Amino acid sequence: MAPISTCAFESVVRHDPRAAALPFIYTPHPVIGLSPEALDKYIVGNDPHTGKPVIEEIIEVLTRPIEGRELPPALEKLENSGEVRTVLGPDTEENLRHEFYARGWTDGLPIILPTEERVAEMLTGTGADPDEVVGEFFRFDTGESIKFNVRHVAVIAVMAGAKPAYFPVILAVASTKQSSLMPSTTAFGAMLLVNGPIRKEIGMNCGIGAFSPVNMANSVIGRSWTLISICWGFARPRRTLWSSQGNNLLYNNMCAGENEESNVWEPFHVSKGFKAEESAISIFRGWGYFNPPGTAAHRSVAEELNIQLAAMPPLNSSATIIMDPLVVKNLKENEGFKTRKDFCRWLSESIKIPAGQYWKTDHIDMLVAPMAYKGVEPYATWKKLPDDALIAPYHNPDNINIIVIGGETSPLWKATDYGYVTSAPVDKWRAKKPQVECTDGTCGLPDEPVQYDSSD
Amino acid sequence: MTGAGNKLIKERRMMGNRVKKIRVLDPRGQPSGVFGRGLDPDTPPWAIHDPVNQPRLKAEELGHLKMAPRLDRLEGKTVYLVDTGFAGSAEFMEELQGWFRQHMPAVKTVLRHKKLSMFTEEPELWAEIKREGDAAILGVGG
Repeated sequence: MAPISTCAFESVVRHDPRAAALPFIYTPHPVIGLSPEALDKYIVGNDPHTGKPVIEEIIEVLTRPIEGRELPPALEKLENSGEVRTVLGPDTEENLRHEFYARGWTDGLPIILPTEERVAEMLTGTGADPDEVVGEFFRFDTGESIKFNVRHVAVIAVMAGAKPAYFPVILAVASTKQSSLMPSTTAFGAMLLVNGPIRKEIGMNCGIGAFSPVNMANSVIGRSWTLISICWGFARPRRTLWSSQGNNLLYNNMCAGENEESNVWEPFHVSKGFKAEESAISIFRGWGYFNPPGTAAHRSVAEELNIQLAAMPPLNSSATIIMDPLVVKNLKENEGFKTRKDFCRWLSESIKIPAGQYWKTDHIDMLVAPMAYKGVEPYATWKKLPDDALIAPYHNPDNINIIVIGGETSPLWKATDYGYVTSAPVDKWRAKKPQVECTDGTCGLPDEPVQYDSSD
Repeated sequence: MTGAGNKLIKERRMMGNRVKKIRVLDPRGQPSGVFGRGLDPDTPPWAIHDPVNQPRLKAEELGHLKMAPRLDRLEGKTVYLVDTGFAGSAEFMEELQGWFRQHMPAVKTVLRHKKLSMFTEEPELWAEIKREGDAAILGVGG
């Protein structure tokens, strides 16, 4: 076998002992979107790593004797494996802050240093044993799972600036074992939604400016997920961080609570099997994020969304639409959609695009075409259609998510191609003695609180 | 270094001596000794990003692999060109096939597009290459 890669991924090979034992050949980068003539030049041109012509190396690799070459059996000698320190210092706060930054353990913003006292205080926010294993985190570069317990999560909650009252929510996020940062050359985005009574108890903003940088709980809980992802190995440039441009929505992962009080449809977590009185987090992931400058003044909301979603060919029929409560009220009271499911079904049936537009989209070709080849419907049928045949890319209404967030100053929404990943319960992580900070949802807001009950 | 610069460093050192030193906890988790490598053919392509879907192998289970013996020459042999499925891969392999046809027509090339996903195993294709082919070239993308 002769493996070929572009030179951009040489470091992946170099840092993986099994891959490093293979006789890789490198072309210049990229190969995407190049003309046949440009690719021909790559083939007869030089390997940027060795300076030899690529085609000569291919022939050489297949015909040069390499008897006895053996791939290492394991990855246990990789950096970090088996040598994790647990305490740093003693040193000054300034030096330690610099060390955390230099080791790549922060998002670049200042952190609260996790002293034993601060971590102990954070642990008062949960009834869980500090040594209880919360989960394992798969590291893309080493292929190894990293175990983490309640104390590890508390360290990161302190770093993010969390209060102990936020800690059950952060533990729920960690329990999903999901990273907000993805080891992809694309620019993934992520969203963290909080439902249930805990939103108001810890002062999350679900109303006006919920996505604005103004609320402590929204900012810090969202940041905690980012720091979890960073500290547990997902932000090492050209090892696990590959996104060419990155995505600054990941500073706090669009963390917000759902405005359940103004939502005329059922809360999101209830649609996933939780009771309304239970608290839960849900996470979403995708790429496309359409933040329309206007509302639906001249067409219906449904027609506007039809236009916008048709421009984003979805992976696995996934979309997540975040609506201001005013939009949902209008859909229910004036456009005839009694339930969220009714509206999702309508969207699913109404949005149509040509098959040729769908299949020639990069990520669809890479990630959905394999499903078509395996015979998974409707993709297998769509693959056989002529380019101009119309298909319904959001064919599964169950994969369209509607979330209600906003302060009812304008009937706006955000349309994304984010897919629902998972939900996790918060209540199992709560302190035995409730750490209720406020019960009316007004904590953390910079000015007059939103009246979620709309009674005035 | 200016006199003012030296004075500043001296002041900072003196200040540093007075600043309280603390210990802090390391934010990283602990290695588990459990590895994931090679997704099952039935795994959805996007599962590569989902830690929950990774295989769970102990280090020793990863096993030894040996490189196949090399050929003495390519003429008269069948070489599989495998498009891994990353964007740009199919076009590159098509051009590579064109090069062999033009410059080494005695080499039979078979172009195959990996169908399951670039992230998963593809046992049927690997078996076909073992059965029908003498060598394989895999690549490329990005």
